Amino acid sequence: MRTKFVLVVAGLALLLARPLVAHHSFAAEFDANKPFKMTGTVTKVEWMNPHTYFYIDVKDDKSGKVDNWAMEMGSPNGLMRAGWTRNTMKVGDMVTVEGSLAKDGSHTGNARAVVMTTTGQRLFAASSQGQAN
Amino acid sequence: MKSQLRSALAVSAAALVFSGTAWVLQAQQGAIQQEGSIAPEAGQGRGRGRNSGPVLPTPRLADGTVNFGRVPGEKGIWNVPYITNMGMRVVGSDGQLLPEIQKANQAAAAARGAGARAGGGGGGGGGRGGAKSEPWIPFQPWAAAVYDYNSQNESKYDPEGYCLPPGGPRLMATPYPAEIIQLPEQKRIVMTFEGATHIWREIYMDGRPHPTGDALNPTYLGHSVGRMEGDTLVVDVVGFNENSWLDYFGHPHTDKMHVVEKFTRPNKNTLHYEAQIDDPGAYTKPFTVAWDIPWNANGELTEYICQENNRYLLRLEDDFGQPLFAPLRQPGTVPTRKGGTK
Repeated sequence: MRTKFVLVVAGLALLLARPLVAHHSFAAEFDANKPFKMTGTVTKVEWMNPHTYFYIDVKDDKSGKVDNWAMEMGSPNGLMRAGWTRNTMKVGDMVTVEGSLAKDGSHTGNARAVVMTTTGQRLFAASSQGQAN
Repeated sequence: MKSQLRSALAVSAAALVFSGTAWVLQAQQGAIQQEGSIAPEAGQGRGRGRNSGPVLPTPRLADGTVNFGRVPGEKGIWNVPYITNMGMRVVGSDGQLLPEIQKANQAAAAARGAGARAGGGGGGGGGRGGAKSEPWIPFQPWAAAVYDYNSQNESKYDPEGYCLPPGGPRLMATPYPAEIIQLPEQKRIVMTFEGATHIWREIYMDGRPHPTGDALNPTYLGHSVGRMEGDTLVVDVVGFNENSWLDYFGHPHTDKMHVVEKFTRPNKNTLHYEAQIDDPGAYTKPFTVAWDIPWNANGELTEYICQENNRYLLRLEDDFGQPLFAPLRQPGTVPTRKGGTK
């Protein structure tokens, strides 16, 4: 029941909180019409400006092939306002990422929200002053 | 050099427009959606920064001047909104959005209500209409062509994406918080911006004029002198360089730009920002843009250093598929062209 409520609230928040990629041209790099949702294991975290990147190994259910994906988030200032710390995500963590795929077809995504599998904690990954206030 | 670049851009932009009328039509709706909300909702209607609760009176300094910053003992920052397209923020002499823009916003809202895709989540992307979609902007032909070019490639070459600072009103349209610190005894005002490459600006309130001739060195932020007119802070800015865009959408400007900004704080939680943009190098007459900036009573500035790990720079390619910011090449070597045709 509680979970359901949280999901609804998170969903609403997501609708209201369109990602803001204030730093560079989102549209030149990513395609808002190519949404994705994928789950994988974190292999690296770069907690840096102007964008934090993390990398996840994602296994294709059908082929069993594992690909490493780069995920772009906001900068540490924006992420901290959205509830992150530099230790929120660690190498080895299982996460589910929602966002938009890169236009160039590379294994790159712009993360909009991240759910930490073990805790169920859902965090927005947008940059700028984000969705914190 | 600049004019060569301009003509080159104009030619390519014209070619794009001629070959892509469909793009213009298709993009129009997206552009309107992007800037669909009217000024008071800027940066607030998306679920952040909205200040609910009682309307608190405008704070004032001891001498009665409007306080544009914090009240002693309290926190607070201005939650600068993300104004991606100032072309949709143009106001008339009454301070209201132009009727044409209101109409376009209403049409976009109606289209959304009818089930059209709401925004898409690009945060500044989406389809774009170019100069034709903003007939109220007094573009000179080259400026329209450059704007169309920036629209067509979805702001790929936005200088802010290279971590260069915004010039002029875009300081108040880059969505990182800012503070206004009045130093009346020193006759100056300092504005600090968390985003926009962690920049500050100084406004001289001592009545000095702008430097003239070569003493006026063109800079990103220009030279700002200010004065209080009643409860309005009026800031006059000249001396811009040409390395910035007016906004994310890529309205160009030249070093002839003269900006007159008006800051008011009608209540504690609202900063109203208005900027008259007069650039005879790019536009045929002045126009004025305006929006509200909400107060975040619990906020404080944090660090943001854009230049740390800007991978966008390294990934960026020009129109010919060449890296725009490649490492320096050995003299005498021929750059290797990337495979495929672009």
